[in-house]
Amino acid sequence: MEVYYQVLTTMAAPSVNVCVEAAIENPIQEIRYDGQEIHVTPLSMSENLSKLAHKINFFKDESEEKGKPTSEGERETDEEKVLAPFQPSLWPWDSVRNKLKSALTEISVLYDVLNIVKEKHYMVTDPVSQEAPELKAPLQMIAKKKSLVIVCQILNTGSDRLKRVQAEMGSNTPDNFLWELLQLRKHWRLKKVHNTILGELSYKSAGSRFWQGGTFEVLKTSDLTADGEATNKKASLDVSIPSELEGVAYIQVEVKSVPDLMDLTSATLKMPASLGAVSPDAYWQQKLETAHNVLFCKELFAQLAREAVQVKGSTPHMVVGNQILTNVFPGIQLSIVLCHYTGKEKKVNLSPPKLDHNHVLEHSLHQLLRKVHSNNLNTSPPHPANAMLGMTKRRRLAGPEAYSRQDLLQMAHSESMLEQILKQTKHAVLRLRSMHVIDQLASSLQDPLLCAHWSCLNNSLESSVRVSITSYCYETNRTPLILIIGIDTIRVVVKEGRTCVLSFEENELRDFLQWQICQHHAQSVQSLAKLHGWQVLSGIVSSGHGDIEPYGTTSTVMLASPKGNIILAFHSSPVSGSRLSVKKVNTTKESNISPAVTASKWASLAGEFKEVNLSRLEGRNLVGKVDMLMARLTVMS
Amino acid sequence: MGVSCVYSYPVPEGRSGAQVVDLLQKQVEMLGGIKAGTFLVDCETYQSVMLNTPKTLHILHNSEHPASCFAILDSGATLVADTLFNGLMSNLKNYYQARKGAKIESKGQRFQLSDFILKVGSVSLAGSMKGILVEVEYCPSAIAADCWNLMKELLQSLIGGVAESPPRSLKPKMEEVYTPATTMLQYLNHFNNFRTAAAMSQPAR
Repeated sequence: MEVYYQVLTTMAAPSVNVCVEAAIENPIQEIRYDGQEIHVTPLSMSENLSKLAHKINFFKDESEEKGKPTSEGERETDEEKVLAPFQPSLWPWDSVRNKLKSALTEISVLYDVLNIVKEKHYMVTDPVSQEAPELKAPLQMIAKKKSLVIVCQILNTGSDRLKRVQAEMGSNTPDNFLWELLQLRKHWRLKKVHNTILGELSYKSAGSRFWQGGTFEVLKTSDLTADGEATNKKASLDVSIPSELEGVAYIQVEVKSVPDLMDLTSATLKMPASLGAVSPDAYWQQKLETAHNVLFCKELFAQLAREAVQVKGSTPHMVVGNQILTNVFPGIQLSIVLCHYTGKEKKVNLSPPKLDHNHVLEHSLHQLLRKVHSNNLNTSPPHPANAMLGMTKRRRLAGPEAYSRQDLLQMAHSESMLEQILKQTKHAVLRLRSMHVIDQLASSLQDPLLCAHWSCLNNSLESSVRVSITSYCYETNRTPLILIIGIDTIRVVVKEGRTCVLSFEENELRDFLQWQICQHHAQSVQSLAKLHGWQVLSGIVSSGHGDIEPYGTTSTVMLASPKGNIILAFHSSPVSGSRLSVKKVNTTKESNISPAVTASKWASLAGEFKEVNLSRLEGRNLVGKVDMLMARLTVMS
Repeated sequence: MGVSCVYSYPVPEGRSGAQVVDLLQKQVEMLGGIKAGTFLVDCETYQSVMLNTPKTLHILHNSEHPASCFAILDSGATLVADTLFNGLMSNLKNYYQARKGAKIESKGQRFQLSDFILKVGSVSLAGSMKGILVEVEYCPSAIAADCWNLMKELLQSLIGGVAESPPRSLKPKMEEVYTPATTMLQYLNHFNNFRTAAAMSQPAR
């Protein structure tokens, strides 16, 4: 309710309307967009009453009433009955009515029960009979015994089964032989010929074309054991290896330096110190594997020997018995020996240090033969029905691309195994030598420091190393060198990007490094000029001054002091070492200068150079010494 | 792949073909060429059967490309294939029949003159000599237009005025990368000329 009061004042000013409102009784349900408020409609009288009636808890009253006598209950039910028909049609009272109805039902039942208990006319209450007493002990025991017997039977059958299985596993019965045969078949190819079982040891299925094949026979040991022998560890299956594959074999590869050039004639037939022989009691898998290896080594050696005899290489190869000898470099010899120890030779006592077996090259040989095998089998696709198989993609494209004769000849050229292993050996030797040279120089030289970083990415035919020449405390001026070591040449990439090719001689590399060191010295001295403010008059890498050196060229640098009256000349050559000379010019005696001379420096072109004793100068290295000298001279000038 | 030009050297009257070939060989040797084996270029012609307009197919082989076989149609379309293509032709004998007595070949000496390969070949059709074909190949170049002047100089010193302009089949392909198929096309043109000349001379009987 809003009441407006108009405040009337005596003043002529317009009055202000004050609005006084009572507090809202009903809560606001909704405010429309136009500001109109919709209140919750207040409950009507009947609604209010039904709400209050809902609040009555009929169940609570029920429990209280059960203890009371029946007469009061009758009265209560009457009252409730009266209440109920009052408003039967009102929806909110429905639940109340239902509740009251159920209460009535409960009460009437209770009443009936009580009547029955009390009056005993048509029904009586009778107590329930008790359970029978416990069984006698013997009966119980019999029952338990029976159940235990059943359990025992189950366990017994289980244990019997396990025992049987175990007996089969360990026993030497014919079943075991079959099981071993199954294992054998998983690894080796077997076939049955009449009454015997034969197996195949050769590499034919892997692509080998070797004439010698290995056939082994599978035997039952149960036929061979005598009575009374301990047969605990023996397998029931044994194999018999052909006689030529008995024993142990391996290929020994040795790279040795021989003082004489052509020492091929002094090859001696080698037998190794006692190799591990195969005992006859060994497991069949071990026996077969050793025989397999023997065959592989034989094939490898036969292939190498054939190539050594047939292929006309630049260097002669020599095959003596079980040894192949070739010259890798002058003074370096590669020897490949087939060592086959069958157990029947006398033990030759060779001192172990003499046998310098190169495992890497042996592994390479194995890999090469395996590659040959796989090339025999795996022809490149497609495999047409009526055309030549085994052509590489390049060869197949040779027709449509119209390759010339020269191209085809180049394609047809393939390397033999011996050539390949020779290349690998050459590279290995060259790499070791270069390593040796660089390490020697690096450890012996203190003045410029040599640092070699060998690349991790290399293969059996090529490696690379990065050598950097620095002076201690002057590391900003660095001379880098990259050496790419090939098969029998070393390619060097110098600082400016020029490349040169060195041969396999050790000395050539050493001389080259010395030469680079001299150039580094000259370069460092030249860079010192910038630090001190001196002027570089000339810096020549390969100057023609001085005597002719056996190798390398002289690098020279000439510097002038800031004032121009001190000239420094630096010569560096790999053979005769570094020389430093100083020329001081007296600026005072310039009495008769002709007008053609524009600056004082032109008047003092002549003069004598005095050599500086570098070994007596103070300084840790050459660059340091020259640095100190230049600083001193700058001050003095 | 180098650029090659094939020219037909006319046999002057009164001289036999063998004499002229000998002469040319001597000239090459005088220029400084070294004998480097022999060469053979041959051509077989196949005619299609069962068609209203008979199509002709020429199969050429060149000893310079021993792994390849060239097939050229009348329209000038060329196919470079493996030597197994010959086998394919025998399978197609129901559709393409070989024309009898149409096998023509150029055989002769091969000379090497540093970067050049010179071939002097005598052309024979069914056993009788029909003419002389001279081929000069400049190996380093791949585009005819770049090296034409150099080749013209050499050719003119060898065969004179015949080599005034590039061969007819090479002219439209001067700026393209040179392929061996173009060589065979040149050879085919010459072979066809020789064939028509032979056919023309025959009806005179």
